Amino acid sequence: MFSRSILRGFASELRFAAPSSISAAPLPQRACLHQTAWLRTTQQQSQSQPHSPNPETPLGATPRAQDTQPETQQGSKAPSTPTSTFNTITPQTRADVPIQKQPVAPTFDSPLEVTKSVMSNLPHLAGQSPHYVVAELHSRPYLLTAGDHVRLPFLMPKVKPGDILRFNRASAVGSRDFTLKGAPHVDERLFECRVRVTGTEAEPLRIKEKTKRRQRHTKTAKSKHRYTIMRVMDVRVKTPEELLEEGAVVVEDAEDTPKIEARS
Amino acid sequence: MPVKGLKTITSARNGVGAFILQCKRLDFHYCNFGGSSRGMLNFLTKDLAAFAREHPQIEIRVSPRPAKHPVIKGHYINGLEKAICVRNLEPSEIMKKTMILKEASGEKLKRTKKPVTSLNESVRGIWSPYHGDLRSV
Repeated sequence: MFSRSILRGFASELRFAAPSSISAAPLPQRACLHQTAWLRTTQQQSQSQPHSPNPETPLGATPRAQDTQPETQQGSKAPSTPTSTFNTITPQTRADVPIQKQPVAPTFDSPLEVTKSVMSNLPHLAGQSPHYVVAELHSRPYLLTAGDHVRLPFLMPKVKPGDILRFNRASAVGSRDFTLKGAPHVDERLFECRVRVTGTEAEPLRIKEKTKRRQRHTKTAKSKHRYTIMRVMDVRVKTPEELLEEGAVVVEDAEDTPKIEARS
Repeated sequence: MPVKGLKTITSARNGVGAFILQCKRLDFHYCNFGGSSRGMLNFLTKDLAAFAREHPQIEIRVSPRPAKHPVIKGHYINGLEKAICVRNLEPSEIMKKTMILKEASGEKLKRTKKPVTSLNESVRGIWSPYHGDLRSV
């Protein structure tokens, strides 16, 4: 089993070899959005697109990124030596993120195996909303439903407000009457749980007085931890049709396979 | 008859659909004379422009506050504000404080023990002793 960090380097090389339709190289139109008024006026002759700082539709929804052929920078693999404006722009769509930093889709070395009993019960579970998931993060369980507010007991590194994470480790996924229990975890291809990082929070300053015997000196130890706060965007169980489309294989039941339990 | 307010039917849950950064405004106050503002003046002249360009959703105001320590104030969507005094700090440290204000939710700091707070009803409902199968001991 490869770790993803190893795969990340490998996958980025693959992407260079076969560039996708949405190139990560900065589009000239996008660059104009954040540049100065002087540049805007000089480029207006060549550009027919309106340049409003806040376009009505998200940039990913406009067809121009897909339709127009972006001018990729020749020679350089990625925008590693762009102009100063590219370094400071907050990426709005996938196309703005450098290729090396795009999330790597997980690679699985075997297709998803679903037992017959799970396959027969899955329509009941998937059809009954709302769902909950017992997602695990650093081996701590979090019982999540859509719309929940989560304050992690730690500050998650390398995330910014607005980032979307997908929790892929769960010990149970369920609805009102059915629960899919993992053994010990549910396969990450059976469900979707996305959370959005909304910022960081801190606790009030804690002051602990440290004293020693027979000494009038008191030491105060202060601490103020910071926490990442996030919001659960959706919790969804995939239907059997979706699983079969994605290449799931139906196998016989065994002792240590996940099971769907109905409420008695 | 007392005046009745309209009941809110839904409550805002930022981030479920659209996401809006909670910090809407940052005020930078400095003093032209004081030595504690030296780092702040450096920060304002060098780093603030890039920060403002990166965050077009945040309004940024810079104003002098003579004979006082430099202060950064964050104003949030929920109406509250947070202030951090940045006297005698280096520009890099001031940048860190600015990021703290930017990422904060604007809520008052609270000590909570439960990681998850939910507005939803319990998915599985409340357990009842009168329903379900009888189980022999």
